[in-house]
Amino acid sequence: MNRSQHIFGSGIVFAVGLWVTWISYTQQPAEAFLFPRLIASVFVVLAGWTFGKAVLGLSKVGIGVSRTMFVNLLPGLVVMLIYVFWAAKTMGFYTATAIAFFILLSLYDPAPHAEAKSWIKRAIITGVFVAVMYGLFALLLNVYTPKEILF
Amino acid sequence: MKRLIAGAALALMGLTGAAGADEYPERPIMMMVSYGAGGATDFQARIVTMTSGNEDALGMPIAIINKPGAGGRVGWNWFATQADADGYTLAAYNVPHFIAQSIKGGVQYSTDSFEPIANWGADPAVFVVGADSPFNSMEDVVAYAKENPGKLTVSGAGLFVGHHIAALQIDQASGTKMAYIPTKGGGAAAMKAVIAGEVMGGINNLSDAFRAQEAGNVKILGVADLERSAFLPDVPTMKEQGLDVDNSSVNFRGVMVPKGTPPEVIEKLAATVPEMFANTRVSKKMEAGGSPMHIMTRDEVIEMWAQRQQTLNELLAGL
Amino acid sequence: MEFIYYFGDVFSPLSFLLLLGGTVGGLILGATPGLSPTMAVALLIPFTFQLEAVQGLILLGAAYTSTVAGGAVSAILLKIPGAPANIATTLDGHTMAKQGQGARALQLSFLASAVGGIFGVLLLIFLTPVLAKWALAFGPSHLFWLAILGVTVIGTLDSSSVVKGLLSGCIGLWLATIGFDDIMGAQRFIFHPALGGGINIIAALIGLFAIPQVLTMFAKGRRNVGAEVIEVQRHSILAAVRELFSRTRALSIGTLIGSIIGLIPGVGGQIAGLVAYDQTKKFSSEKDKFGTGHSEGVIAAEAANNAMVGPSLVPLLTLSIPGSPTAAVLLGGLLIHGIFPGSDLFDNHPDVAWTFINSMLIGQVLMCIFGLYVAGLAARVAQVPQSVMAAIVLSLSVFGAYSVQSSMGDVYVMACLGIGMFFLERFGFSAAPLVLGLILGPIAEANFIQGSMIADATDGRGAYFLTGGLNLFLIAVVLASIVYSVWMELRHRRYTTKEEAQA
Repeated sequence: MNRSQHIFGSGIVFAVGLWVTWISYTQQPAEAFLFPRLIASVFVVLAGWTFGKAVLGLSKVGIGVSRTMFVNLLPGLVVMLIYVFWAAKTMGFYTATAIAFFILLSLYDPAPHAEAKSWIKRAIITGVFVAVMYGLFALLLNVYTPKEILF
Repeated sequence: MKRLIAGAALALMGLTGAAGADEYPERPIMMMVSYGAGGATDFQARIVTMTSGNEDALGMPIAIINKPGAGGRVGWNWFATQADADGYTLAAYNVPHFIAQSIKGGVQYSTDSFEPIANWGADPAVFVVGADSPFNSMEDVVAYAKENPGKLTVSGAGLFVGHHIAALQIDQASGTKMAYIPTKGGGAAAMKAVIAGEVMGGINNLSDAFRAQEAGNVKILGVADLERSAFLPDVPTMKEQGLDVDNSSVNFRGVMVPKGTPPEVIEKLAATVPEMFANTRVSKKMEAGGSPMHIMTRDEVIEMWAQRQQTLNELLAGL
Repeated sequence: MEFIYYFGDVFSPLSFLLLLGGTVGGLILGATPGLSPTMAVALLIPFTFQLEAVQGLILLGAAYTSTVAGGAVSAILLKIPGAPANIATTLDGHTMAKQGQGARALQLSFLASAVGGIFGVLLLIFLTPVLAKWALAFGPSHLFWLAILGVTVIGTLDSSSVVKGLLSGCIGLWLATIGFDDIMGAQRFIFHPALGGGINIIAALIGLFAIPQVLTMFAKGRRNVGAEVIEVQRHSILAAVRELFSRTRALSIGTLIGSIIGLIPGVGGQIAGLVAYDQTKKFSSEKDKFGTGHSEGVIAAEAANNAMVGPSLVPLLTLSIPGSPTAAVLLGGLLIHGIFPGSDLFDNHPDVAWTFINSMLIGQVLMCIFGLYVAGLAARVAQVPQSVMAAIVLSLSVFGAYSVQSSMGDVYVMACLGIGMFFLERFGFSAAPLVLGLILGPIAEANFIQGSMIADATDGRGAYFLTGGLNLFLIAVVLASIVYSVWMELRHRRYTTKEEAQA
């Protein structure tokens, strides 16, 4: 895997480490930040070490993210982000899950998109899954989910 | 077509809009407890709400949700800032805990953020020592504290909770300074510290201390309340032992809703909930568990909150 | 031997029905992501209102034993650990399932659970008075050293690079400090309101383990049918029994460590599995196989988890102090019926006490039988096509994280940690040390601060933390663990450089 990716990855971790250290040493009350300071100091040293190794091109562990991988991943990730951070709360858990589930199946299920049969199959799987989730979480466990938009 | 849309919009409004007081409650209600499952507050909350599904109570079940952390701050912060004020989100309050925390600062709530509904219990703080401790009365404890300032270690459930308030009041009344050790893990962890001899004494809930005394693990030296408790008729109050400690540290537990909840809903709850607490099935279970009940109506609770606010302001001003 | 007289009560029709119901229900609840044993038991409390004390406790005891074991199902098949106890099980168990050996992994995990569990309950029956003293012996200073011992394991746990393992651990330790500090009540690193309550450990577990796996499946893209279907191998129960008893080292290390650590109030349940896994790895002759679907890993972790159940109830039953959140919920179940644990329980209600303990013993056996029965069926989950699997795991993660405390904030935290972990894993970081940091951080911190406060009021910090037999013993173990890790690392390094030189 290429060096720039390692520099990027460990760079972010190092940046987080610096930020954590800075906050730990500047925030009050000091007694409450005793432990964070200790952790942050070790954190920043180790992160610096890793970053240094990446810059020198000595990082060996890890396979990185290849271009095809990222292209494959992106649509699923976008659907996931919308589902988790927006749809679940706004549309209700069961509605959002049904929609996200169906979209994800359509994106990643290898069955041909041109056939009606595969679409029906996807819809059935989605329906059965959401029904099971509803039975388990709403009926059996009485989990109190946000209001549904459809029912 | 227009009619259809209007109809649909109307139907949607009917579903999502706030329901009138007549229909309330039309779906199950959630009650947030800001301590973990299994703690005294959680345990009592589950008992007092168990009959809410009955027709003569609310007619809908109440589900308990736990949001523990930082002595209750996490749950109450959530309740003050993020809970829906629609009458379907209730919370359990613990006085003096949340009032003391709001005076101390660093939280997003105060007595003005909440509307009390009713009180169900009052659990006084008691002073406990291990069964083999040389102390046999509060007098012994104070005498030791006077001779060894800052050396008497006393455990309690956290900072600015009832136990801490009681410790501060004992300090003030006796003119000494004890080393108050807050534990993580609530009253149970504080009690363990006493039994294991990690600390010399402890302040704990009457209900838990009563149980530990029955098991032969601790001695209870004094009750921080105005009167002796029916569970412990032989244990004198702090006042009887010459310490000027009132009932400010008594842990009052009850139900509240966020500010902004519709008045009709509050009225309905304030009328029904105290009766729900008075149910004989509830009182039997509470008594069996050693939890003292103390039912108060909304007006009484409002007054109690205001009173506590004042005493705690004075007590904590010096810190 | 008193307990034998009360065996009859367990087999009365209603009691046995409840035991059976509690076991099956517990396995299902335990296998549901986001439902820890504590929550599962709390959910069952209302049902016990209507029952008699003995029957109520049978239901709760059976549910407790089987939820702990049930957590292994989702850990092995979906890589979603249901509770901290199951983290170690995912490390080898899920790899086995991916290789089509899900049935074998599940069978071994249930058998190991039953062996460990029965041993734990027997300890509870025979050694309760001795164990009670041991449970009380651990004060703040000892718990602090114990947490540090856990930290020394971090670097070698599951990472190909020691520095990156330690760094992952540091990230976990830092994440644990987010939120209100428990003792002082100060706010730390709350840069979004969702973090106000800190990072919920169950939500974090779901995110850190399940989400990277979902994203990995996405990253494979649309594949042709057939290319990805794993052949699920059938595995006979007899073979599993034989394998279990040929792995006596893993089984006994797991059982012993689980029972000893389970006793310690406030710590036990969360780290028993991980510590047992790590120790078994250190003593094993096949160290390199750990993490690649090695059966010893599953056996040690699951034996430890269930061995912990019995001893974890010792402080509750003898001293009336709940040593774990689940024990606290069980205490509620006793109090509702007016029974106080402690001497009162064994003197005045021996029928309740012993029937409850016996039911946990029988519960272990029932759990094992039922578990073995479904293992073969459940393993077929691996045959579900990847696209469907990814969507199922994602939805389950969202529901699971939400249902922990009905909070959207936990879902956001779960997703953020999960996405972050996916990319970190690409760069050689791993989730297990991070999670260990997340669990140990608060234990180390709270006990250090509490210990310091006691020490400052009495004989000073040095004397408090560094003297006393138990402190010195724990410090010695910590040092031994560090020395061992360093030595292994150096030896390993010499080997690899040699190989590189030859190549």
